[in-house]
Amino acid sequence: MSPTSHDPLGGARDAEESLGDRAARALLEYREGRTDALTDLVREATPLLWHTVRAQGADRDVADDVVQSTWAALVRHADTIAEPKAVLKWLLVTARRAAWQAVRKDRTDARRRTELPDDVTEGAAALPDFGPGPEDEVLRDERDRLLWSSLKRLPQRCQELLRLVSLADRPDYKAISASIGMPVGSIGATRGRCLAKLRAVLTEQGEASWT
Amino acid sequence: MSRQDAGSTPVPGEDDALDHVDVALLDRLGRAVRATDPVPESLVERSLFAMTLARLEAEVMELQQITAPAGSVRGDAAPLEARTITFTHERLTVMIALSADDDGAHVRVDGWVAPADTLTVELRQPGGERTTDADADGRFAFSAVDRGPTSLLVHLAGGDDVTVATPVIEL
Repeated sequence: MSPTSHDPLGGARDAEESLGDRAARALLEYREGRTDALTDLVREATPLLWHTVRAQGADRDVADDVVQSTWAALVRHADTIAEPKAVLKWLLVTARRAAWQAVRKDRTDARRRTELPDDVTEGAAALPDFGPGPEDEVLRDERDRLLWSSLKRLPQRCQELLRLVSLADRPDYKAISASIGMPVGSIGATRGRCLAKLRAVLTEQGEASWT
Repeated sequence: MSRQDAGSTPVPGEDDALDHVDVALLDRLGRAVRATDPVPESLVERSLFAMTLARLEAEVMELQQITAPAGSVRGDAAPLEARTITFTHERLTVMIALSADDDGAHVRVDGWVAPADTLTVELRQPGGERTTDADADGRFAFSAVDRGPTSLLVHLAGGDDVTVATPVIEL
């Protein structure tokens, strides 16, 4: 997760183990009764799962629950996951699906409790609305704010993809984009559609000095 | 490849190699994502504990409802006052009410199982476990419980030896 792992010119870095590789190794070792690598994986990948779940519109309590359940599910399915190399994708897909179900259920429950007409937009996984307050407090740097507001002008799925890949290593982009149903190869070796869109928005805003 | 994406028009530059500006943007974005929506403290510890519980092969109950003072969030050191949590399973509902014990140094857990039965209830924490039996009304209690990740396990009646566990909560 070090910033240098994004370095497109650091070819040697690509030979290093990615999060996906470490996840595969953790599962294989766990099957042999060694749990250290899996513990490390939980520490490293929990933020990625958290933000995957939050992107489905889950509130913090629900997200907390879904992340835990996803890790517990990995233990329960440790012996039946056919493709250890795809375990990172398995985690992301499992978390995303569980989050989506929890959010949908919450909305149904809320409707039932209030007996209000169905005014919820079905199918739209609304990104959590953090409101203007927290962001203004947290993002003090002008360029951070510009980046954030530009991100929000992208299609929702692009927002989700870019949030997640910003937390991962470059070799993991493929697994991440696949897990959220974006075309494989749409980001990683190339800039990809979403990042290109983000740069177009930023160029419109006239801010060019990002490095 | 991305051009096949839903038949929409290509975005200029999408097939270019990732450059230094992309890298800088992603790094900056990653910091912003972490800062605006931080992962709850101790979620990692709760997850590890949940994995330990998963190895027991208990069926996990569903977190149904949390009633808590406005603004508090589980895992973010919520105050304990008046926190009640309901967990459901197809064969059992467990409700617990949390309150401060020993002047706030510990936590008291008052619980009810429904349908009421004299079931054995186990309180598990990373540091160990305690057991009590629910009374005929389904009531049970644990006093002077340490704070930290906690799960309740209930051994169901009947000869089928089913154990259900609550998701891990932070006391």
